[in-house]
Parts: sequence; structure tokens; C-alpha cells
Amino acid sequence: MKKEKTMKKITTVLVMLCISMMLLSGAGTKEQASPAKKVTLNVMMSFPRFTEEMEAYVAQFEAKMLEEKGIEVEVELEMPSSDQYRNILQTRLSSNDAPDLFTLHATADLPTYVEAGYVADLSSQPLAAKLYPDVRTSVSVDEKVYAVPFESTVWGYLYNKDIFEACGITAPDTLDEMKEVVRVLKQNGYTPFQLAFQEQWVPQLMTALLLGGKVSGEIPDWVDRMYADQGSYREVADIFEMINLVMSNGTPRAMETGSEQGAADFANGKAAMYIQGTWSAESILSVNPEIRIGVGALPVNNNEDCTRVNLATTTSLAVYADTPQKEMAMEFANYILDDEDSSALYESLKFNPVASCHDFDQYDWAKDASRYVAEGRAYMDLVLPQAVTNEQGKLLQSLYVKQVTVDQFITIMDQTFKAANKALAQ
Amino acid sequence: MAHQNATKRNLQLLACTAPALIVFITMKIIPAVMGFWYSLTSWNGINPKKPFIGLENFREIFTTDSYFWDSLLFTFRYTIWIVVAMNILALLLALGIESQRRGKGVFRTLFYLPNMISLVIGSFMWNFIFTKVLYYMADTWGWSFLDHSWIGDPTFSFYAILTVALWGGTGYIMIIYIAAIQGVPEVLHEAAIVDGATPFQRLRSITLPMIAHSFTICLFITLNNAFQVFDVVYTLTGGGPGRATQVVAINIYEEAFNNSNRFGYATAKSLIVFAIVLVITSIQLTVMKRREQEL
Repeated sequence: MKKEKTMKKITTVLVMLCISMMLLSGAGTKEQASPAKKVTLNVMMSFPRFTEEMEAYVAQFEAKMLEEKGIEVEVELEMPSSDQYRNILQTRLSSNDAPDLFTLHATADLPTYVEAGYVADLSSQPLAAKLYPDVRTSVSVDEKVYAVPFESTVWGYLYNKDIFEACGITAPDTLDEMKEVVRVLKQNGYTPFQLAFQEQWVPQLMTALLLGGKVSGEIPDWVDRMYADQGSYREVADIFEMINLVMSNGTPRAMETGSEQGAADFANGKAAMYIQGTWSAESILSVNPEIRIGVGALPVNNNEDCTRVNLATTTSLAVYADTPQKEMAMEFANYILDDEDSSALYESLKFNPVASCHDFDQYDWAKDASRYVAEGRAYMDLVLPQAVTNEQGKLLQSLYVKQVTVDQFITIMDQTFKAANKALAQ
Repeated sequence: MAHQNATKRNLQLLACTAPALIVFITMKIIPAVMGFWYSLTSWNGINPKKPFIGLENFREIFTTDSYFWDSLLFTFRYTIWIVVAMNILALLLALGIESQRRGKGVFRTLFYLPNMISLVIGSFMWNFIFTKVLYYMADTWGWSFLDHSWIGDPTFSFYAILTVALWGGTGYIMIIYIAAIQGVPEVLHEAAIVDGATPFQRLRSITLPMIAHSFTICLFITLNNAFQVFDVVYTLTGGGPGRATQVVAINIYEEAFNNSNRFGYATAKSLIVFAIVLVITSIQLTVMKRREQEL
């Protein structure tokens, strides 16, 4: 009997406590709500390596909104690793949990997502008028701007300027000149090429550059014909001479070397050239801040017109079409190309200028690359199906470990392209 | 009256299991049923529209997709190796540990330890060993037998994958065998010793028959896990070089996420794998159960 009474007492006390806490918390929210309108923006980006810079920029944006519009904005910035980014984005889009803004690859992904109706049109926003014409084309679908370009890259292969100068050579313009460069480097005791084939996207860069050069220089209708099942890799078989030159004059243990390790080895002077984009410049400089990097265009054959660098817009920021915070999302998109603050952001991210509001000094290697662009020796990214690009990377690995021959390479690629076409048709 | 009671009891039982049942249905059953539907569409994983194409996906798998069958073949090879090696190794470890007088707990923990680390992390550790440590040993100590392309050469990378998978998985199977061995009544051994049986005879005629039920469960677990292997291969070789070490789970994953986003097609492939695993494991279970009863 006594026990029951005490139980009752305890229960009463607990209930009282609960009620009072609920009252207190209720009062709290009321107080908070009064000063300003509060908006939460969810932004997902695919470059965790720039988390610090982006967080600082987001803080600036939040301060600016509070000051100018009296709106308390809270930007939740998410940076999944780039490997998983696409999977996460796809899952969130299809489960109605889409971020308000998200990054997309301008050439590879943007058209698909626009077609699926996930991306808002930005053509009428102030940012669209600021973009450089070439860049604007690269983030447009049917002449409407759908994304804010972040990363536009100009890249070829990287070379160690000190080694090149020590050997008295310059970046070659033709295949024969390249062979000569390789010969001179070996004569002077240098390994010509840094190989890092563990991740298949790294060897794939060779096919990207060589196909880009070959196709833009000599057979501009190749990609279109491939999509129509009327072309073949046999037409571009030129590329294998250069690939063979790289593979047989490179650093050992390529399959055990990842891209970061390759960058570190290249930074330490283990090889004179590294077929890798300018995006790895940061990794290289972090290992050896003294290294002087140059950017060159990879020759395919002896036609100089085929020796080109790649010009591409990759990561760009899109606004989710059905976001409930459309106004604020647009503000954020515009702020990326803000007249006052954008320049500093792009400079700190080491991106190339993409719009008229950008005015900053570029690195040496970026200037090298821009020189090719100025001379009209750049090609726009070839838009190949993802399955084709991946297969190229895989086959280059197999070619390196001698599991396939060049002939098999060509046959398999033709089949893969046809299969990808069929998948697209569905 | 009795009938009413039974209904009431059933309802009560159902109410008690409801939370688990709801989670199971929403997280497992519904996605599985939806999977059947997706396999009949050409859905690309992004588009809200999921066009129905009948059995076209299955026709394509059976007629043109040689990579899928290659990866399936590789998975079979891997499964056979793992099932045999892991069970033998786990059994030997279990017998060895149980025959010790002291330090049982220490060894049990040591061998079980890799199982407590996520296999992805374990594989990255091994990746470091295969690409750095072994080369260091080969280069500085002259141990040239280590100087192979451990994850770059398909012949060696198969053994590298086996090594890591065994390292990570054996401990768990070992624990099951240890539990079974501990369940063998001591009196049987004592009686056999009195009759003058050698340790090997006791192992063959007492221990092994008495732990037959654990063979069933261990074979089932290893078979099932080996067939669905993903993490070890993905983190160690990524299926490469080329497709030399591509297992079926990676083939499906790449089809869905990396290549042409063919979700419907990838789902069709995984249904085929599901059917194969279902047939193999049910054969294994029936056979083993029958043997168990015979013993």
C-alpha cells in the first residue's frame, strides 16, 4: 500500500516536470522567432577538398543576407566525397529529399538532369549576363543557362619545367618531337612519364586528350557518327602510338600507384611528365612547393592541329527546380558570381575565371594552358557516354598489364559504344 | 471458446512482433517486390518515368552481356576457394585454440579481432601493405619473392583478395566452430580415452560428427557471403586491372551507378544472382540437413 503511494508521488512529479519543460521550451521558441525571418538552405557540393573555402564563403553570404535583407539564412553545406556524390544526389532526388542547390558535372550530367526536370532555369538571373560566352554555352541546354560554372579547367599533361630546362627541351608539338623529348630525357637519366594506373580514371585521361585532339583536328564528325553506330575506333587508331610511348617509358609499378601517390612522385622529380589535369597541381605543390609545373598539349601524330589542350566546364552549381526556398536559392546562386566577393573565392579555389566579374592573377601553369587556348589550340570536352569513358579506363589498365591487344581494344570499344547507344535509345 | 483464445493469442503475438515486422516489411519486402517490377523496366534511376519493357532486360543479359557472365564465373571461382579455405582454416584454428590449456581467451580475441574492423578499412590497410610494405621489404631486404604486382597482376591479385577476405572473415566462422566444439560432452572423450582412442580417432569419430550442425550453418554463411562479396574487391582492386577481378556485385553496381545508369537492367541482373544464390543455398541446406540426421 505504501509502495503504491510513493509510486504515485513519483509519477506525479515526473508528469509535472514534463509539463513544465514543455511550457519552457514553448516559451523559448516564441522569443527566438521575433527578430528576423529565418531561412534554411541545403547546399550539396562534390568537392570536399574545398570545404574550408566554401564554408568561409557561405558565412559571408549569411552575413550579407542578414545585413541587406534582414533575413537570417542558415546554409547547411554538405560535401560528400566525389566518388559517392552522384549516388547520394540520385537517391535524394528520387526520394523527395532534394538539396536546394547541388553541383553537377556540366557536360556529363547537366543535360540528363535538366531533361528529368530537376534543374531550375537561371537565364533571367543577373549571373547569366556575366558569364563568358564560351563558358555560358558549356552550362546551357537549348540556349538556357541551367547552372553556375565553378570549375572550368584547361588541361593537358603536366611537365617539370626544371627537368625540361636542364635537358634543354621544350614542350613538343608533334609525335616525332615527343619521341625526341623522350629520348633526350632518358639519355639524361630521367624517367619520361609518371604512371599512376591504379584508379582507372587516371589512364583514361590519355584517351580523353588523344581522342579530343585527334577528333577536333582531323575527324570532327567522329563523335556524331559513333552515336549513330557509323564510326569505329579504328579511325582513331593513331592514339595508340602515343599510348604505347607513355606505357613503355614510364615509372614502374603503375598498377600499385594511385593518383595522389603519382602526384607526390612527380613532385619529387621521379618523372618528367605526368598525364594529369591541372586539378592535381595543389597536391603536387603541397608535396614540393618549389616545383615549377608547366602544362603541355599531348601530340597524337605529326599533325600539329591535333595537338590540343582540353577546355571544359566540370563542376557547376544548379538550383533544384522545386525548391521551396527558390528566392533565397537564387540569391545564393547569384552570390557565387558576386561582383565584389566572387573574384577572391575563385582565386582561393585556384579555379579559372569564368565571368566578367573575375579579375585575379593566375598561376604559371594556368597561363601556359591559357596560351594554347589563345592560339585556338583547345578542344571542348568530347561528350561520350559514361559507359564508354569507363570502359576506356578499364581497357587501358588491361592493355598495360597485357591482357588485351590494341586490336581487341578497338573491337571492344566499338561494341561498348553500340551498347551504350542502345541504352540511350531506351 | 478455444478458437477465440487462439485468435487472441495470435493477435497478441502479432502485436509483439509488429515493430520488427513493420521495419522488415518496409525495408526488405517492399523494396524486393519493387525490384521485381524495376527489372521489367528501362528505368535510368533518375527519371521519374519508368518505361515498361517486359523481359527485354533478361533477353539482353542472356544473349549479349559477356562481362556479366565473366564476373559470375569469377565469383564462382572465388566462392569455391573461400568456402573451402575459410572453413578449413576456421576449423583448424578452433581445434587448435580449444586444445590449449591456457590463453584460450587471448587467441580467440586475436583471431576474432579483424572481424570487428570494417572490411573496407581492413582492405585499405592491406592495400597499403600490398603496395608499400611488401615493396619496401623486397627493395631493402632483398626479399625478391615479394616483388610482384600484388594488386595489378590478375594472377596475384586473386590471391591478394583471398588473403584479405580470409583475414577478415575467418574469425567469425571460427567462433561458431569453437561454440560447437565446446558443446561436445566431455564424457564421450573420457570414455574414448579409457578405450585407448588416439587424439586423431577422437577427432574423427567424436568431435567432427558432434559438430556437424555447425558445418551446415558455417557453409551457409560462407557460401552466401562469398557470393555477395563486394567490399574487399572494390577497395582492393576495384575489379581491375580492367575487369580481371570483377565480381558480380561490382558488375551490377557499375551498371547501375557508373555506366549508363541502367537501374532496370542492373536490377534484372541482381534478380538472376538472387535466383542462383537461392538455388545453391537451398540445395546445400537440404543436403547438409539430411546428412546431419543420418549422423
